[in-house]
Formats: sequence, C-alpha cells, structure tokens
Amino acid sequence: MIGSKKKRVAIAMMFLLPNLIGFLIFTAGPIFFSLYMSLTDWALTKHNEFSTEPIRFVGMQNYQRLLVGDESVFFWDYLGNTIFLMIGIPISIAGSLALALLINAKATPQAPRIRIRAGVIALVIGAIVTFFAWLATTPGPLPDPASPLLEMSAEVGLTDKSLFEVARLRSISFTLITAVFSLVIALGLIVGSVFFRTVYYLPSLLASVPMFLFWKTLYRPRGGLINAVLDPALDTIQTIITSTPRFLWYALGIALWTAAIIWAFRLMRSGINKLVHKDAGAAAFIGRTALVLTMLITAYGVGAVLVQAPQQSMLRSGFTSLDRSQTQTIADSLAAEFPTADTAELNLIARNTDGSSPDDAARFFATALPDDALPRTRTIARAQAKPLHDGLTSGDGLTSPEWLLSPSWAKTALVVMGIWTAIGGANMLLYLAGLANIPPELYEAADIDGASGWQRFVHVTWPQLAPTTFFIVVMSVIAGVQGGFEQAMVMTEGKADTITLSYYLYNIGFSDRFELGLACAIAWVMFAMIFVLTIFNFRVGNQLTND
Amino acid sequence: MPNPPTPTRVKPSTLAKTLGRAVIVALLVLLALTFIFPFVWQILISLSALTDVDLLTQTGFPPALQPENFITIFQRVDLARYFFNSFFIAGWVTILQVITCSMAAYAFSRIQWPGRDKVFLLYLATLMVPAVVLMVPNFVVVLKLGMFDDYSGLILPSAFSAYGTFLLRQFMLTVPSSLDEAAAIDGASHWRIFTTIMLPLARPGIIVMAIFAFLFNYNSFFWPLIITKTANLRVLPVGLLQFESSYGQETPLIMAGSLLAMLPPIIIFLVLQKYLVKGIQLGAVKG
Repeated sequence: MIGSKKKRVAIAMMFLLPNLIGFLIFTAGPIFFSLYMSLTDWALTKHNEFSTEPIRFVGMQNYQRLLVGDESVFFWDYLGNTIFLMIGIPISIAGSLALALLINAKATPQAPRIRIRAGVIALVIGAIVTFFAWLATTPGPLPDPASPLLEMSAEVGLTDKSLFEVARLRSISFTLITAVFSLVIALGLIVGSVFFRTVYYLPSLLASVPMFLFWKTLYRPRGGLINAVLDPALDTIQTIITSTPRFLWYALGIALWTAAIIWAFRLMRSGINKLVHKDAGAAAFIGRTALVLTMLITAYGVGAVLVQAPQQSMLRSGFTSLDRSQTQTIADSLAAEFPTADTAELNLIARNTDGSSPDDAARFFATALPDDALPRTRTIARAQAKPLHDGLTSGDGLTSPEWLLSPSWAKTALVVMGIWTAIGGANMLLYLAGLANIPPELYEAADIDGASGWQRFVHVTWPQLAPTTFFIVVMSVIAGVQGGFEQAMVMTEGKADTITLSYYLYNIGFSDRFELGLACAIAWVMFAMIFVLTIFNFRVGNQLTND
Repeated sequence: MPNPPTPTRVKPSTLAKTLGRAVIVALLVLLALTFIFPFVWQILISLSALTDVDLLTQTGFPPALQPENFITIFQRVDLARYFFNSFFIAGWVTILQVITCSMAAYAFSRIQWPGRDKVFLLYLATLMVPAVVLMVPNFVVVLKLGMFDDYSGLILPSAFSAYGTFLLRQFMLTVPSSLDEAAAIDGASHWRIFTTIMLPLARPGIIVMAIFAFLFNYNSFFWPLIITKTANLRVLPVGLLQFESSYGQETPLIMAGSLLAMLPPIIIFLVLQKYLVKGIQLGAVKG
C-alpha cells in the first residue's frame, strides 16, 4: 500500500469527492428529505416567495388522505390502472423467452460459405418474386372500365382520384412489401442470429416519446394501420360466427372453462401436496395460487367471449367518454341538486373532465360536493354518457375498437404497445445469455434419457434459466409500478382512464396542484409496494431455485 | 407414458430436421417483419402530403412522395435547437458521469481507507430506491440552487450516478491488482496508476456505462418536462410532444420529426452493439 493512513484517506477523498458531493446532494440527501417532505403540507401554491406561511408538519396526514381520505378514490383507481398495465409483464417475459429460444435454435446456416450462398440465392429469388409481384399487380397502361376497382374506390371514398391511380399505388405497396420480405429473409440468412437480435431489440431502444407519437397514429380508429388490418379480419370472424351453429360457440366456451377448472384443480392439488410435505414453502404456494387465479380469470374472459360471440354483445362494457357539453350538463344538474356546492368549482371540473369516462368525472365532481355525494354524481354522469358501442361490437356486429379514445380499450392499447416494445429488449438479451450458459452436458444427458423437446425444456432449460427469470421479474415489477407516465402523457394525455400512479404523482406535484408533500407521499407508497413485491419475489425465487 | 424396454434415441430424419429449421426461420422472419413493418409505415407517412395521409391505409403508398417534409419540420419548429439541447445535455451528462464515476470506482476498488465499505453500502442502498422518490426532492433542490429552467438543472442531477459507480467498481475489481502494485513499486502515484493503467484496462466497462448514460438521458422526458419552462431549453421528446399537441393533424411532419429523433440511438446501437449487449448481460450476472 502506498503512503500513510492519513495520506491514503486524503487521496481516496480526492478521487471520491466529485462523485460523493453530487451523490449526497442529488441522491442520498433527497431520499431523507423526501421522507420528511411527505410528512408536511408543503405546496408551492402556499409556500413560495410571495407568502410567509410556514410549512407545517402534518404527520401521517398525507398518507391517510391517499389511502382512506379525500384522495383515496383517485389513488385506488390509479393503482388499479397501474396493475392493469402490469398485466403485460408476464406476457412480454414469456415472449422474450420464446424469441430467445427461437434465436438460440441456430436454425439459419452457420458456415460462412453456405450463409453467403443461401443469402445470395434468397436475394435473387426475392428480386425475381418482387419483379413478378409488380408485374402481376400493376394496372397496365389503361384502366379497364369494367374493373371491380370502380366499386372499391367508391366504397373508400376515392371519388376524386382515378381508379388507375389507386391500382398503381396498391401495386407499388404490394411490391414494396414483397421487397422488404425478401430483404429480411436474405439478411437473416447472411447475417444470421445477430440480424434477428438487432431487429427485435430496436423497438425497446426507441421506446420514448417519438415512438409513442408514432403508435398514436397507428391506433387511430380511422386511418390508423392497426384498425385497417383489424377491420377485414373482424369481418371474416363475423362471417364465420354467423355461418356456424350457435351451440358450437357455447360448447367451445364451456370446454375451455372445464379445462381451466380441471387444470387449476390439479395445479392446486400438487401445490398443496408440496406444501404439506414441505417440498416448497408458503411463498411458492402463494405464487402458485396467484398464477392459477390469473389463469382462471383469463380463461373466464376468453370463455365469456366465445359463449357470447353469437349474441353480438361481446365485451360490451362501460360507457363512451364525455365531451365538453356533457360534462357541463352534469355540472349544471349537480349545481341544481346541491345548492351548497360552489358553482365556479363545478364549472372548472366540467372543463377539466372533458374526455374522461363518466366514472372518472363522477369522482372529480364528488370532490366539490358533500362527502356522500359520489353515488349520486355517478348516476348523473352515467346518464349523460352513452353505453359503449365501440367495444368489439356495435349494433351491426364486430367492429374495431376506438383504442386510445375509449376508456375501456385505452389501457389495453398501452399494454399491447408495451409488449411490442419490451418483448425483444433487454429481457431477451438476458435470456440469450442465460441460454448460452447452460452446460451442453445437461442436454446430452436428457437426450440419452430419450427426452422429447418439451421435456428438455421443462427439465433442463426452464430450471437452468430460473435465476435469469427471477432477475427479470424483479426488475420488471420495479419498473412496472413506476411505469405508464410517458405513454399516457403522449398518447392519451391521461384521458380515457389511463392515469397510473406515476402520472398521478406528476399531476399532484408538478402539473396543477404543486402539492409537493402529497406527491412525496405517493412516491413512498410506491416504494413500499415495490419493496413488498421485491421481498416477495425474493422469497418465491429462493424457494423455487432451491427446489 | 409406458417406457420402451431399451431407451434408444430416435434420430429425426434429415428431412424432418430441415423442415423444423425452415419453420423456425419462417417464424424468425415473420416476427422480424412485425417489428420492421411499423417503421416502414412510419417512413411512408413521413413522406406523404398532408392531404394523402387519411387515404394511406386504402392505397398503401402515397400518391406523391414529399421528402421535403424533413426540411419543413425544421422550419415549422425549432428542431435544430431541440437536437442541440438533447445532444448537449446527454453529452455533458455522459462525460461528467464517466469522470466522476470512474474516479469514485477507483477509490472504492483500489484504495484502502477506513469506512470505505460503509460508504459503498450507502451507494448500493440508494440503488433500491425508485427514481420517483427522488423526483420531488430533486425538484426542490434544483429550485433552491437556482438551477430551475437552466442547463445546469438538466445536467447536474444526473451527473453522479450511483449505478455507474457500482458498475465500474465491479469492472475494476476484475483488473488484476498485480499490475498496479508493480506500478506502485516503481513509484507511480495513484493518479498515474488511474490514468495510465486503470482507465485503459476498464475501457469496455466505461464504454458500456457511457452508452447507457447517453441513451437514457437522450430519451429522458419526465425530468426535462418538469424542470424547464422556456422553449429554448426543450429537449427532443418535450419539443416533439409540444409540436404534436399544437399541430396534431400534421401527421407527416410529426412522423418526420420523430424519425429524425430516433436516428441517433439506432446509429449508436448499430455501431456499438457488441458493447451494449455485453453490458446488459453483465448487469444480470452482477445483480
């Protein structure tokens, strides 16, 4: 070791100080400061350079307001939204594993010579196919007056554009799709797994405001790509449903329910056995119960869709969102009904709830009214809204949802986008690393035992990946509890029932109320949730990896 | 399932094997297309004229390409300024993080001093605290230090990363200590060992940390949104969202702007992919 103890400390401090000072000011200090702030009534509207009002210490009052007091209606609702968005986590983890397994199968040629040869062949074939795709679809020099395109163009409202033009554009589009398709095959063959890994990873790399803006256009009910693809697909499904006997759909739904119940029963029985014989601990049992419950709920939902499919009332729930005139009507009737209420405040709420669901609006209105007014406001607000007709059905059958505009579909839209972005991201890379670390001897042993592909996965791959899965689950839950702000801010502006806890914190702390104390309390409640979930994950993880 | 008397491994025929591989390749390609086609679609929108956007789902291709959208967006909104801000802020944060974190990591991994492990434990403990907890108090700190609505408020709070320190310390621990002991015997000071031995040897770790820092701060939205007021300080995500909420119907321009904003991360990833993938996979092993 160099130098005396004193000198070593001095040198160490020289290296450490630039970081330590910043760390204390912006990380360690604020944590304690935040804890203190959450116990005060600190609000920038009350405590600023224009007022001398002292910041009061209010003890647990902020937490009480959140969990049981005047903020609790919002808090629990937004917590529900946060949990809804976290449904995407298990789906995207399973997807990441599937992608990693596909890439890891090394199905593309490995030897460089074969790779290049296969790629070049694919390129040549692709070029030829693309050329013929163009040749087959291009409308030729003169549009045929008897062409069915005439009807089609009237249907889509293309009255001012010539038929010839539409056919030409569709031909270019089709040719472009073929070209991209061929190019992906050729690149995949030449570059191999790195190409696929890169392509899958890109969405998660770009998951920020620019990409959310783009997805907002994809989700447009009319003129968006998703519904343009979904509409014809739903039409087909509609035709199939109406042309098959009704009992078939009942039978399918009931069969699914029965299968789910039997499977749940078996899983629970083996779980109880393990618990009784001390093969697994209580935490693993709770984890298994949660899994079974999720499975049952999913099966119930899918079964319900199947059973109801022929009745065309599928997934119809909730209400349309309110527009400005409707919220004003609510405000007016509430003002008439509650003479003590502050009319100006009701009008302000009417302005702010433009675009929200009737239940959300009811909660906002109730804050300006006596304590027990919520049921009444809800009735009035729901009376204003129309029952939802943009679920999956309208009067005339299946139609695409309104996605971000509809309170009952907006969260689903965010979940779908979240899965698309996360599925090929860091989790997939972690699984790829995990797969590469599995000793090949284990597979050789399984082969000697005559294990099938599925048995190899269940008995070798999955247990060997348990530490990776555990790490991914812990990190995803931590991110999930804090998530949803950017997406909702960009895509729905918090309308359509998409406000999560982090968005709530933004609204309370930085957007309209500047109640910093309350915002800190929200942050600490989120921390408590993360803490409990992480501890739980650790216990389950430990018990499962020790099995 | 009844076991056959002698468990013999059934070798799949070559044809079945080839077919299986073909199915996997087909799946890989189809999945790749679900990630690529949306971006192709975005490019098509960004090249369309405003009046053609609504018909794009019917025709699949714009009647007239309008690449000048990519120039118009710079005239309609101060995109150049937002680009500069994003690069300036993310760049400075990255440089400062590399300096402060590598020095701190050296102090934690190579110098013996009393209380070292306790201080390091404090660093580790803060890693468990979610970012939202720091948001509000940091906002107050920035207000009180007069850094609100200023570059310093955007750069300084992110310039000292506990995570980066942790990552680099782990990396430096893997550098054999015989190297710097030999240098110390030759009379080299700690500063000299740090700059001539440690920094070059820890370069892969530093590159990983720098990429993470840059990408994270380039994409960051929440903090710049609450800490800035003036238009001149807007970063790309905030500026683009601002443009979208004022001119939401100008889809081609918005798509052109967001495509441009996506380019730097794509380029960084393609060039430095090797390091980034290693870094992500390293995180789990250490975690």
